[in-house]
Amino acid sequence: MDLTALGVCLTTSACVVTQATSGLIVGMLLFLVAAGVTLIFGVLKIVNFAHGTFYMLGGYVAYTTLNVTDSYALAVLSGTLATALFGVLFERFLISRVYGSNVLMQLLVCYAVVLIFDDVVKIVWGPEFHAMGMPPAFQVPPLFIAGGVVPPFYIALIGITALIAIVLSLGLSMTRIGKTVRAAAINPQMVSALGVNTTLLFAIVFAVGGGLAGLAGALAAPVRSLSPGMGFSVLIESFIVTVIGGMGSIAGALVAALLIGLVRGFGTIGFPQFTDGLIYIMMIIILLLRPQGLFGRRS
Amino acid sequence: MKAHPAWRDAVIAAIAVIVVLAIPLFHRSPAFEDFVIRLSAMALFATSLNLLVGNTGMVSFGHGMFYGLGAYAFALTMQMTDLSLPVAAVLAVLFTTFAALCVGAICVRLSTDYFAFITLAVQMLFFSIIISWQSLTGGDQGLRGGIPRREIFGFELASQLHLYQFCTVVAVLGLLALRHITTSPFGQTLRMIRDNENRVSFLGVVLWQARLRAFTIAGAFAGLGGVLAALFVSGAYPELADWPNSGQAIFAVMLGGINSFLGPVLGAMILLALNDVVTRFTEYYGLVLGIVILAFAVGLRRGVLDFLRLAWPGRAR
Amino acid sequence: MTTTRKPGLSRRSTLALMGAGAATFAAPWVARADANILRIGMQSILSGPIALLGNSSRNALMMEQDRINAAGGFLGRQIEFLFRDSKGQPQESARIARELVNSSGCELLVDSEASSGAFAVQEVIRDLGNVVCIHTNSETSALTADPKIRAPTAFRVARQGVHDAVAGSIYLADFSKARKLNKWATCSPDYAYGRDTTAQYLQFLKQFNPDIEVVTDAWPKLGQPDFTEVITKLIQAKPQALFTLLYAGDLSAFVNQANVYALFSQMTVATPNVDYPVMAAIKNLPAGIQSATRYLETFPDTPANKEWGEAYHKRWNERPTTWSWQCTVAMQFYEAGIKKANTLEAKALSAALTGLKINTPFGADGTITMRDDHTTINYAIGWGQTTPKEPFMVDIKPADWGKIIELETEWKKQQKYI
Repeated sequence: MDLTALGVCLTTSACVVTQATSGLIVGMLLFLVAAGVTLIFGVLKIVNFAHGTFYMLGGYVAYTTLNVTDSYALAVLSGTLATALFGVLFERFLISRVYGSNVLMQLLVCYAVVLIFDDVVKIVWGPEFHAMGMPPAFQVPPLFIAGGVVPPFYIALIGITALIAIVLSLGLSMTRIGKTVRAAAINPQMVSALGVNTTLLFAIVFAVGGGLAGLAGALAAPVRSLSPGMGFSVLIESFIVTVIGGMGSIAGALVAALLIGLVRGFGTIGFPQFTDGLIYIMMIIILLLRPQGLFGRRS
Repeated sequence: MKAHPAWRDAVIAAIAVIVVLAIPLFHRSPAFEDFVIRLSAMALFATSLNLLVGNTGMVSFGHGMFYGLGAYAFALTMQMTDLSLPVAAVLAVLFTTFAALCVGAICVRLSTDYFAFITLAVQMLFFSIIISWQSLTGGDQGLRGGIPRREIFGFELASQLHLYQFCTVVAVLGLLALRHITTSPFGQTLRMIRDNENRVSFLGVVLWQARLRAFTIAGAFAGLGGVLAALFVSGAYPELADWPNSGQAIFAVMLGGINSFLGPVLGAMILLALNDVVTRFTEYYGLVLGIVILAFAVGLRRGVLDFLRLAWPGRAR
Repeated sequence: MTTTRKPGLSRRSTLALMGAGAATFAAPWVARADANILRIGMQSILSGPIALLGNSSRNALMMEQDRINAAGGFLGRQIEFLFRDSKGQPQESARIARELVNSSGCELLVDSEASSGAFAVQEVIRDLGNVVCIHTNSETSALTADPKIRAPTAFRVARQGVHDAVAGSIYLADFSKARKLNKWATCSPDYAYGRDTTAQYLQFLKQFNPDIEVVTDAWPKLGQPDFTEVITKLIQAKPQALFTLLYAGDLSAFVNQANVYALFSQMTVATPNVDYPVMAAIKNLPAGIQSATRYLETFPDTPANKEWGEAYHKRWNERPTTWSWQCTVAMQFYEAGIKKANTLEAKALSAALTGLKINTPFGADGTITMRDDHTTINYAIGWGQTTPKEPFMVDIKPADWGKIIELETEWKKQQKYI
């Protein structure tokens, strides 16, 4: 524990800016993954334990696309679309068969998918890790803002994820389909009775949720290592985010993801060997005081 | 539903013990003996979880915590003191029971999903403490140097045969005790809580007390399983208390059958056997296991024993 | 469901259960031993972020299998490896070790697990007592240095943490004195290897250059996807040099993310863990990282070493790692030890291996010795700096083994091992 270092950091603008932006970037990527988990849970009441697999596939597809086309934009796009498609297939052929069953049965199906695709990735891309490398456009020195270091690539990432967050929340509140999704989250039977094609709706929800995770994987690919099983730690974190923010709440996921990013950013200075523990303690306290999460509705 | 005669269970258990103990007299197979040792640990672990999941309707994602705690408590007691093995084992189980009581006191008031999440969170906290508290636990490398397995009544547990016999007896006794709890009036109460908690609370049962008791008992038996696991690997490792290990127990319960007492034992057997066989032929074990799990989940939609009992309902006793 | 729920088992389901049980039991234990083939069990991590560990070990062992079989095998028997993936889980490592010996009929073991797995295997070897095992990848000193942990029939053919720490510290102390780099930061994986080895390096480093102070330390988790907050923390502290023990996929991710922050232009980086495939996988490898030679075709600069490195490269289309040469030397020790003992019997073979000195391209002077405490000495260690292109590392200074052993002994006394 190093509370003096934390105190010193919190009183210097350089340290606050740098750690806050690094927390922001960790948090925003986490938000993209968690948004999918919470969206799917909100509408379908399914905890998608296979969400880390979407993240992984997004990264790998982007990696291959970049190698073939040499375009980072195309890589991100293909990673997103491929996982969106994967989400639809996953929903149609597997998850739809266990709607209404025990949560453990759903867990079982998701876990099976995780196992299968970790090995599929191993077969297709090999068991070794891969690194995508930074696209040339972003191979530029970092900026200095208020004495803190901020890399342009991360500014771009934060911009893109913030844009997605805005589009997502506007889409949910303004568009017809968004309204239907929100209605389905509150009362699916009623929505179905009103003649909405819930089959299509559910597929769309999985496409969007999966696509977001794939997008996160693709966006992060230049700076993170790709390896089979890489989705696991991301899944755990996004799961924590969803629980803290409130299952089903997009706003909650955003706030919780940023919160976790900041805890990481400053925790690494104050408690370098116990940052994970801090996050679990936060999760336990929130579950005890407000089990539905920061932004969740009490069921 | 007729009350289940306890002596029948005892006879079945006795026969099982005799049969399993007799096998090495006719044929020594170290691999089979290893399998039974590991199964005994996992069977206790999974069956104790099913006391919560199947019997009481409490889905715990964090049961591995008590399995790991049992293993660490036992291994550390053996390494740091000169107590005899049974005493250390009993102390380890008592310690785990107490821990389960404390964790349960925090967790059991939460409703289904939130209960699952909070048990998961507590487990992850526990896991990160094991990793961080390196001076005591050895961190990620686990406890090093092995567990001294002091002789008990002429039993030398470093010997495979003696360990086999010891684990068989402990596991069967443990399962018998769990069986007894399940069929007792308390077990009936738990099933009523699962089926309709409102009605039970109208009957004057204090829900959280009954749940806490179930949680504590389940933790205790998971701890006993952990003791056996520690004996097998001659150490304790953080992975025993990790999330994937809780997952293993959940899968054993689901594969074997949630509504059958022996379901989790069968599930554990299937999982262990699959692991042993498949890893020999391919390194794509996950692929095979995933497909098998999918076949169960999407095809049978329930565990094997539950499926069989549903297929032949009339033949049930 | 509720109506059919019964407290007990039906007779039929009991029978079915027994049938299923019998089927699952029977399958794995059908003996299929071919007495003429000598099976050697190998276990490692073959999947996940550090699969490089297991795969580059396996590659080397397969080359050795071909070589040894072409030369007539061991005791006239052809050898065959059985490879197992422990997925990095110690209890699975323990199970696999027992399985390889007890049911797959392996008569020798090569344990290529990372440290935690190696400690689990060590206990199994001690329990079994009837099989020889060589650990090829665990660098944690305690495995053989601590007499309580050392096992009578288990050996280590690998670099050892404390050797590396002495060699690296001497080099880095000179380097830091010459460049006046006194403010250091450390960034190592938050697990036993990372913590212990970092402590060892720092202890020796401060001993050789008392001016050195550590201004900050960071402890990312193994396999942590994002190191951003760690990197920014390091940059904040404005150290002159950074010491890191990250490796494989983690090191690659760290370098890529650190590049984003231009970390390498702000401090000198030193790491003992840069293997060929890691250098190849990192796009934009920065020049001038002070690094140990894990495996290098040009160090020791002998034809035999180069030939082996090229053969490996040709066969697997990638370059070897430190784990590759360690596995190769393990098989060379088995070869020489079995020839000397003329048996596979554990006690006799262990006696033959203890103190054995073999000729090998990977020795500092063309030989490597298995010391009495069951660990190897006199293997090639050097430090130099990276360049983005071949030969990837230049200005290599070989370590002084006399000094290493002197300080290792001192360290062992401090730890009360001797």
